[in-house]
Amino acid sequence: MKNIYLIPLILSIFSLAVIAIALQLDTSPEMIVGDSMQARSFPIFLMLLKLTLIGILTFQFYKNNPKPVALEKYHTWGSMFLFLLFYLLTVYTDMFIGIFVVIFLMSILWGERRIWVAFLTATITPGLVFLLFDYVLKIRFPRGILMNLYYG
Amino acid sequence: MFEQAISAMASVVVDPYLLGLIFATTILGVIIGVLPGLGATTGAALLLPFTLTMDPVHAIAVLATIYVSATFAGSITAILINTPGTSAAAATTFDGYPLAQKGEAGRALGIAVISSTVGGIFSVLILCFAAPLLARVAYEFRSPEYFALTVFGLSMLASISAGGAVKNLIGGIFGVWLSTIGAERVTGIERFMFGNYELYEGLHFVPIFIGLFAISELLVQSKTVDKIIKTVSMKAVKLPTLEDYKKIWKTILRSCGIGTFIGVLPAEGATVASMIGYSEARRWSKNKKEFGKGSIEGIAGAEAANNAATGGAMVPTMVLGIPGSGTTAIILVGLMVHGLRPGVYLFTEQVEKVYQIFGSMFVANVMFMLMGLYAAKLFARVSLVPTQILWPIVFALSVIGAYAFQGQLLDVWLALIFGVIGFFARRHGFSVAPIAVGLILGEMVETNLQHSLKMFDGAWWMILTQPLALMFLVFAFLGLCGPMIFSWITKQKD
Repeated sequence: MKNIYLIPLILSIFSLAVIAIALQLDTSPEMIVGDSMQARSFPIFLMLLKLTLIGILTFQFYKNNPKPVALEKYHTWGSMFLFLLFYLLTVYTDMFIGIFVVIFLMSILWGERRIWVAFLTATITPGLVFLLFDYVLKIRFPRGILMNLYYG
Repeated sequence: MFEQAISAMASVVVDPYLLGLIFATTILGVIIGVLPGLGATTGAALLLPFTLTMDPVHAIAVLATIYVSATFAGSITAILINTPGTSAAAATTFDGYPLAQKGEAGRALGIAVISSTVGGIFSVLILCFAAPLLARVAYEFRSPEYFALTVFGLSMLASISAGGAVKNLIGGIFGVWLSTIGAERVTGIERFMFGNYELYEGLHFVPIFIGLFAISELLVQSKTVDKIIKTVSMKAVKLPTLEDYKKIWKTILRSCGIGTFIGVLPAEGATVASMIGYSEARRWSKNKKEFGKGSIEGIAGAEAANNAATGGAMVPTMVLGIPGSGTTAIILVGLMVHGLRPGVYLFTEQVEKVYQIFGSMFVANVMFMLMGLYAAKLFARVSLVPTQILWPIVFALSVIGAYAFQGQLLDVWLALIFGVIGFFARRHGFSVAPIAVGLILGEMVETNLQHSLKMFDGAWWMILTQPLALMFLVFAFLGLCGPMIFSWITKQKD
C-alpha cells in the first residue's frame, strides 16, 4: 500500500473508534431527551459524515496520485522529543526547570552555536515571563522544586 | 444609539490608558507581523492569556489591534525580504519585492502603508454601520435559523485558506467533534472524557488554539532553520506622490470593497481577500504588463484588500458569533472569556463596549500607519532575529500561556498534543483554521439542532420550512456543491 493512503486509513480508524466509543455511552431516559437526540447521536453522525469525506479524499488520492510527504528533519523530531522531556521534567521536578532545559536544548538543536546565548535565552525568557505572570497577572504556578522554594 | 456610538468611539481617544495599550500593542503587532511564521493568528493566540485580567474592552482592543497591525506588517518583510510576514501579505511579494529590487523599497512600503490604512479604516466604518443592522436581522433568529447559519459557516470552511475543500471539511468536522468532549449540555452524559473530570466542561479553546496555531507553527519553523534571509536596502519610506495616487485610488477603493465583503463571509479571511484584490487590480489595470515586475497597483490592490478584510471579518464574529478567520476565532474566544456574548445582546445591552472596540480598531489603523511610515526600516530588522532564539521563546510563552488560563497543567499537555496534531495535519495539507472554527461552532450546531428538534417534535425537516433557515442551508449547499455544479455545466457547454 502506498503511504499516501496512510492518512485516510488513520482517519478512518479514528472515526470508527469514535463511533465504537460513542455506542458505549449511556443513554438518557425518553422523558429527558424527548423529541431531541441522545448524547451519542451527534458524534456518530459527525463520524459518518467524516467517513464519507474520507472516502472522497481517498478517491481524490487515487485519481491525482499526490506525492508522498517527505520525512521530517531531525530538528522537528528533536523538538517533539523535547516536548516529552518538558513533560517529564515538569511532572518530576519543576515547570520552570522544564522550560529552561527545553529552551536551552532547542536553541542548540536549531543551530545556535554560542552556548552563552542559548543559556541567556533559557534563563532570561522564563524569568521575565514568570515575573510578569506572578506580579502583574497574579498567576500561581504549579509546585515543584523551584516553586516550593519561592512559595515556601 | 448614534450619539452613544459616537461618544463611545470618541472615548477611546481621551482614555490615556487605552491609547497607551493600543500604542504598545501596535508595536507588538507590527513586530509579530514582520517575524516570518508568527502572524496575527499565532500572535493573538499567544497574547490571549495575557488579556485575562484586563477589562473586557481593553482585552478585545489588544486582540483586535494585534489583528490589524500584524496583518499590515506582513507587507514590510514581503517587500524587503520577499518573505510575507503573514499569509495575507503573500500577494504583496508579487510586486513589492520586484519594486524594492529596483531601488524603490521606500516607495513600495509607502504605497503599502497608505493602502492598508485606507482599507483598514474603510472596513471599520463599514463595521460600525453594518454590524448593528445585521444584529437587527439576527434578532429574528431562533434555533433553526442559528442551526442553519452555523451549518453555512461550517460549509464555508471548504474554501478557507490552504488545503483542499475535502481536507478542510474533514478538519472542520474534527473540530466540531472536539466540542462534544465533556458532559453533554442537556442530559449531562459524559462523552469521551475517559474518567478525566478536568474535561467535564469540555475542552477549552485557549490551550487548543495555542497548540494549533503557536506550537504547530514552531514545529513547522523547525524545518526552516537553514534558510538564509536576504534583505534589500532602503533609505526611507516615501509617501506616494500625487501621480501615484492618481494611478492607485481606484484600485484602493475597489480592494476596500472586495476585502470588506470577503471578510464578512464566514470563514473567509485576509489571505483570500488579498489574492482577489490583487487579481482584480490586475484585471482592471491599464498596465497589466507591469504586474509581477513592481506594479504599485498590485501592491495597493493586495494591501487595501487584506486590511479591509479585518473589519469585515469582525462583522459575523461580533454579530453572529461566527468567526470570519483564524484570528477572529481567537477574538471570539476573547469575547466569550470576558463575558461579552456575541450577538444581538451585545448590540443592545453593551453598545458602548462594542463601539469602544470599533474605536480602538480605528485608532490602531492610524497608529500602524505612523509606525509604518516612520519606523518600517527598524521593524524590518526584527525579522532578522535568528529562529533558534525566537522560537524557543515562543515555546516558553505558549506553555506558560496555556497554563495561566485555568491554572491546570492538563491545558499545557493539551496545547502540546494539539501542537503535534496541528503540525502533522499541516504537513499533510490540512489547514488548522477549520479545526479551530469547527471547535467554536460545534456547540452552537449541536445545541441549536437539539432545540430545533424539540421545537418541531423531532421532525427535523421542519427546519426547511423556516425561510431564513432554508436560505442559509441553500447557501451552504451552493458553497459546497456550487463549484462542482458550475464546472459540470461549463464542461457540458464546451
